[in-house]
Amino acid sequence: MSDASAQDVGRTDEAAPAAVDVRDLEVTFHRRGRDLPVLRGITLRIEAGEAYGLVGESGCGKTTLAMAVLRYLASNGTVDRGSVLVDGQDVSKLSEEALRKWRGEAVAMVYQDPAAALSPAMRIGDQICEIFRYHEGLSKAEARVRAREALRRVALPDPDATMRRYPFELSGGQQQRVVIAMALASNPRLLILDEPTTGLDATVEAEILDLIEELRGRINAAILLITHNLGLVARLCNRVGVLYAGRLVEEGPAREIFTDPRHPYTMGLLRCVPRFGMNKTDAALQTIPGTLPALGERKPGCIYADRCPMVKPVCLRREPDLLAWPSDAAAHARAEAEAAPADPLAFSPHHANPVGEAARHARCYFSAEVPEMPATTPVLSAPDAAAAARSSSDVLEMDTVRRSFRDGRKRLVAVHDVSLKINRGETFGLVGESGSGKTTLAKCVTGLIAADSGVISFEGKRLKPTAGRRSQAALRAIQMVFQNPDSTLNPAWSTRGILTRAVRKLGGLSSSAARAKVDELAADVRVEPRFLLQKPNDLSGGQKQRIAIARAFAGDPTMVVCDEPASALDVSVQASILNLLVELQASESVSYIFISHDLAVVRYVSDRIGVMYLAELIEVGSAEEVFNPPHHPYTEALLSSIPTLDFDDSHQRIPLRGSMPSLSEPPSGCRFHTRCHRFLGDICVEQEPPLQEAVTGHTYKCHIPPGELLQLQAATEPTAPIEV
Amino acid sequence: MAEEIAGRTAAEIRANTASLLEQRRQRRYVMRSLLRSPTFMIGSGIVVFWVLMALFSMHLTQSPFDVNPMSTLQAPSSAHWLGTDDLGRDVLARTLAGARSVLVIAPIATLLALLWGTVIGLISGFYRGITDEVIMRLVDVLLALPVVITSILILSLLGRSVAIVIIVIGVLFTPLVSRTVRSAVLREREHEYVMASRLRGERSWFVMAGEILPNITAPIIVEGTVRLGYAVFTAATLSFLGFGLQPPSPDWGLTISSERLFVQLAWWTVIFPAVALASLVVGVNLITDGLGRVLSK
Repeated sequence: MSDASAQDVGRTDEAAPAAVDVRDLEVTFHRRGRDLPVLRGITLRIEAGEAYGLVGESGCGKTTLAMAVLRYLASNGTVDRGSVLVDGQDVSKLSEEALRKWRGEAVAMVYQDPAAALSPAMRIGDQICEIFRYHEGLSKAEARVRAREALRRVALPDPDATMRRYPFELSGGQQQRVVIAMALASNPRLLILDEPTTGLDATVEAEILDLIEELRGRINAAILLITHNLGLVARLCNRVGVLYAGRLVEEGPAREIFTDPRHPYTMGLLRCVPRFGMNKTDAALQTIPGTLPALGERKPGCIYADRCPMVKPVCLRREPDLLAWPSDAAAHARAEAEAAPADPLAFSPHHANPVGEAARHARCYFSAEVPEMPATTPVLSAPDAAAAARSSSDVLEMDTVRRSFRDGRKRLVAVHDVSLKINRGETFGLVGESGSGKTTLAKCVTGLIAADSGVISFEGKRLKPTAGRRSQAALRAIQMVFQNPDSTLNPAWSTRGILTRAVRKLGGLSSSAARAKVDELAADVRVEPRFLLQKPNDLSGGQKQRIAIARAFAGDPTMVVCDEPASALDVSVQASILNLLVELQASESVSYIFISHDLAVVRYVSDRIGVMYLAELIEVGSAEEVFNPPHHPYTEALLSSIPTLDFDDSHQRIPLRGSMPSLSEPPSGCRFHTRCHRFLGDICVEQEPPLQEAVTGHTYKCHIPPGELLQLQAATEPTAPIEV
Repeated sequence: MAEEIAGRTAAEIRANTASLLEQRRQRRYVMRSLLRSPTFMIGSGIVVFWVLMALFSMHLTQSPFDVNPMSTLQAPSSAHWLGTDDLGRDVLARTLAGARSVLVIAPIATLLALLWGTVIGLISGFYRGITDEVIMRLVDVLLALPVVITSILILSLLGRSVAIVIIVIGVLFTPLVSRTVRSAVLREREHEYVMASRLRGERSWFVMAGEILPNITAPIIVEGTVRLGYAVFTAATLSFLGFGLQPPSPDWGLTISSERLFVQLAWWTVIFPAVALASLVVGVNLITDGLGRVLSK
C-alpha cells in the first residue's frame, strides 16, 4: 500500500526519499539536573501520501517524537543520536532562517486545542491571509482569494462570512477546520496531527475525520497522526507504530496490528477498550497492571517485562530487538539471549533499520504466543451481585427540572423540563454532546447548581435546591466524582488529610475511628497505604481518581454522580477505574448517574441510558434498547459516528446537518428538526413531538411511531457497530 | 492488632520518609533556583545589607546625631567619607542609620496590607455576587484616591506618628492586594476540590482559609514584595513632605527634604540618602522579579 502511494508522488527519480525518515533517534530531556531519556532508538519511515499512526499511553514520547521531527523540542530537550530526514533533508542541518522557512512551507501541525491555535484577536480571514502574504509574498487581494479557496477546501459553508468572524464566533469543529485549512495553506509535504479531535464531540469528531480522510486523497502529504484513540488510527492510517516508554514496540499495517497484534502491550491496549455492546454483566474490563516506568529508569531486558502477563526469564536478560514478524527471528534472538551470560547492564544493540525489509515488526521474543496472552483480570467477575442489589424502587426522582443561565441579555435554558427516575443500585448513563445539559443536570442533583423550577426528590423526600441548604445526611447520601484528576484533590493537602476530612465530615467519625475508616477506604479503592502520605501532585492520574472515588464513598453514599470520571485517563487506567466503580457498586449497592461522551464506556457501565439533546432528555431506556433500533434519530446519528476498530467498510456514518442551534433560541417543534435525517415535514417544525413508547420503559420524543422507525432504521442501518 | 499497627507504621514511616525526601527535594529545587537567579541574589544582597545597617550601623560609625558646628557642609574626606551636613553631622553615619525607620515602617505596613487585602480578596472572590460588587466598587473608590494626598489628609487629621503612618500606608495598599487575591481566588474556586468541599457541607470560612488560601500563597508572596517596594517609597515621600519622622531622625526622606536647600552647595548631603533610598527600592524589586520567575514556574 505504501509503495503504491510513494509512486503516486509524481517524482521522476526512482528512489524518492521518504516523507519522514527517522533513524535511530534518541532524545533526552534535562530536568532539574537529571538526564531523562524520552526516546530511545526510534527508527521509522513514512512514505509520501501515507498516513502513519502513532499510539501509546501518555508519557510514552509520542508528542516528543513529533516535536523532534519538527526540530521544535523544548529548550531542555536534546537529540543525542540519530537523524531526522524530512523529504530527504536532514532537519538538524538547517540554519535558523532555513528552518523557519521550512517549518512554514514544508510541514504543518494541527494541535489538540483549536482555540489555542488561533489568535483570538484576529479575524479568521486575516489569519489565513497572513500565511499567503508571508510565505508566498502575495498581495492582499490575491491572498484573500487563496484564503477563500482554503476555507472552501475544508468544507466550511460560506467562506466569506467565516473570514469576517473572530475565532470565538465559531464552534469547536469549525475552529478545527480553520486550523486544518491553515495547516494545508502552504501545501505541506508533511502534516502532523496531534490528538486532532480529542476535545471535540463525537459527531464533530466524525466530521473532522471525514474531512481528513477526504483530504488525504487530494493533498498528497504524508500524515503523522498522534492519538490515544485506537479507533481513530484504525480508520485513518495505513500503518501504525506503537510506542511504549520511548521505545517502538510494534509496527506494521494498521489493519493487521489491530486485528492480530503481536506485542503484549498492543494486545493489552486493545483489550482495555470496552468493545461496543459490551456490558458490565458480561465481563470485567481487561487492564494493564502496573505503571509506565519512570523516565530514566534503566533496566536490562524488555522494558515491558514488569507489566507483561506472559513474561519469561529470558525477557529479563536482554531486551529483544524489533524483530520481523512473521519469521523465526524471534526464536533465534531468544536462544541467543538465553545463551548469553546475564549482564545486568547489557543492552541489546539498536536494531538495524528494519523498514522495508518486512511489513511488520514486534519487539518481543514470544510474538507467536501473543494471541493466547492470558487475561489480566478474571474474564468473568461476579457482577451478579450488582443485579441482585438493583431493585425497581426508585431512589431519585426528577420532575420537570429546569435551569437557565443568563448570558448578557439572552437566557440560555441549559436543562429544559427533565423528568426522570433512577432506581436503587442501578447505573443511569447520561449521554449527549457538550452543551446538551448533562453536567448541569448532574449538578442540579448534587446541589452544586440550584434548579430554577421542578422538583428533585430523594428517597421520597424533596431535596433542597443547593448543597449549602441540604442536611448533612442528604449531602452524605449524594456524592460526586469529578472529571479532572488534576483539580479534584486539593494540592495543598496530603491524601490522608483529604480522606480524613471527608470521613469525619460525611461519616461523622471521631479521629480514631476516622483513621481506621481511611485505611479501609484506601484498601477498597486499591491505593497502597504509602500513597496516603503523599500530596496529590505526587500521584498518577489514576491514583488521584481512586482517591477522589474513595472520598465520594467516605460516608457510604446512596447515589454517586460520576461526571466523566475516566475520560482524562489513559485507556488502561480508564479500564481499571471503570472496573473499580462497577465493583464498588456491587459491594455498596450504590446508584450511579454516569456521564460520558464515550458511548462504548456508557454502554459498558450503564443499566439504563438517557440521551440529551439541546437541554432536553429525548430518549430513555435500558442500555440495550437505546443502542438498538428503534431509537431516536439523534441517538442513531450519534452511534454511527463512533470510530471503531472493526474495519467494517459497510459501517455508514449518518452526518448531521448544520451545527448545534443556540440554547437561547431553540428550534420550534422538535428541537432536533434542523439537523434530523428523518425529517418528516411541517409537523416536526410546528409540533412538539409526543413521547413514544417503544417497549415498556423505553421512551423517545419523536413524531415517528416505533414500528415505522424500526422499519426505517433496520432498512438503512447496516447492523449497529457491534463487535464480539 | 499490635502487629498490624506495627506493620502499618513501618510502611508509613518508609512512605513518610519518601514523601519528606520528595518535599525536601522540591524545596531544595526552589532554593537552588533562587540562589542561581542573579536578579534575586543581587536584590537580596542589597536588602540584607540595609537590614544589617539598620540593626548595627550604630556600632560601626560615629553617632548620626553628633552635631559639630566647627565642620559643617564639608566635602567627603578621610575623616568624613561622605562629608558632613549643615549641622556638621556625618553623612555616612546618617545615611546608614536612615535605613532603620524605613525598614520598620514599610514591612509592617506591607504586612498589614497583605493581611487585610487577603481577607477582603478571599471574601470578595469566594462569595461573588452582590458582596463582590460592593467590595470591588469600594476598592475602585480607594484606588482612585491619590496615595500621597490622601495620606497627608489623614495624617493632618489624626496627627503625625509612626504608627499612624504605618496604618495609613497599610490601608491605602489594601485594595491592590485584595484585587490580586480576588483574581487568584476566582481562578482557584472553580477547581473541583472546592466543589467537593461544598458537597461535604464545609463552612464557607473553612473553604476559604483551609482549601483555597494554601493554594494561592505564591501570588500573595509576590504581591507582598511588590507592595514592599512601593511602601518604602511612600514612607520616604511622607517623611520628605514632613508627615513621617521628625528631626533629628536620620530618615532618608526627611534628610533629603531638610538638606535640599544646600544641594548646590553641598550635593553630598542629598545625593547619598537619595541613592540609598533608590538602592533599597531597586533591591526589593529585584527580589520580586526573581521570586516571581521562580514561583510561577
